[in-house]
Amino acid sequence: MPADLNMKILVVDDMSTMRRIVKNILKQLGFSNMDEAENGQEALQKLRADTFGFVVSDWNMPVMPGIELLRAIRADEKLKHIPVLMVTAEAQKENLIEAIQAGVNNYVVKPFTAETMQEKINKIFNK
Amino acid sequence: MISRANVNASAPSKSPDDDIDAENPDTALYEKLGELTRFIDKTIKTISQFSAPMSATTEQLPDATTHLRDLRKLTEEGTHKVMQLVETVEDNRTRIFAQLDALKQHVTGDEAAAVEAIRAGLKKDDKPLIDIITALSFQDLVAQRVNKLVTIIEEVQHKLLELVVVFGPYTKGAGKEESGKAAEMLKQLEASKKTSMNQDVADEILKQFGFH
Repeated sequence: MPADLNMKILVVDDMSTMRRIVKNILKQLGFSNMDEAENGQEALQKLRADTFGFVVSDWNMPVMPGIELLRAIRADEKLKHIPVLMVTAEAQKENLIEAIQAGVNNYVVKPFTAETMQEKINKIFNK
Repeated sequence: MISRANVNASAPSKSPDDDIDAENPDTALYEKLGELTRFIDKTIKTISQFSAPMSATTEQLPDATTHLRDLRKLTEEGTHKVMQLVETVEDNRTRIFAQLDALKQHVTGDEAAAVEAIRAGLKKDDKPLIDIITALSFQDLVAQRVNKLVTIIEEVQHKLLELVVVFGPYTKGAGKEESGKAAEMLKQLEASKKTSMNQDVADEILKQFGFH
């Protein structure tokens, strides 16, 4: 099933430039309903207060890193079904394995291209 | 009674120190203590020579971290500026696409084909524009590395400060007089912050001098 272009997407990154870049790429891919959070804690609050269909998260963030956000999402009965795409500079194998074990749906290593992100999103929603 | 000559004859070969020990143990002890005292004195002098550079380095490091943070901020602002310009171009294109779609409803034949050709030509810019946006992700990587450098520098500063406190009196401001390369570079960076101006200020000054 292709991704619903109207679903609400949460972009989580402590860098404002990265949030803007990801939102631009998602817009280019046809998505228009987006919100953003600066860290995992703020993301969790937004996820619990609204209905989101997809989360794109960084790994390295203050307050609550992406991996903890992922674990919190998977541990929450209401949120655990939401697909999570990690977009991160953490390019170590150990990080990827940790994310997979925590239940990540896919993983994009920075720097990345719009094509890579599109490919990963397609893989997530066309399963 | 065993004579000294007999003992020496039967003993294995001895060092000169052994002879001194044997003849006058007190003198040997004093000589060793004197040697140790000279070593400690020399070490303290050596450490005190390092104290000033350590103090200087300890005081320069916060300036260095400030410049690194400024660097992060400058790249962040520059990245947002470029993105804002690309977004403006994208918004214009969206409007033109809508106008072309509306125009296409009123034309047929060659005119409709021409409208479609313009549309296709504009569409070719999709990829370069999004490539510009994604290329700007370098800023995030720069910021992450800068953050790591700041953490390392702060840790080094902390350790240096510990050394300065342990090995010598820490004199605040001692580092300001250092004329090393690092100090000079920091001075230049600090000066550039005060002397650099934006184009608006430059234009204002030019205007005052008759440039229009």
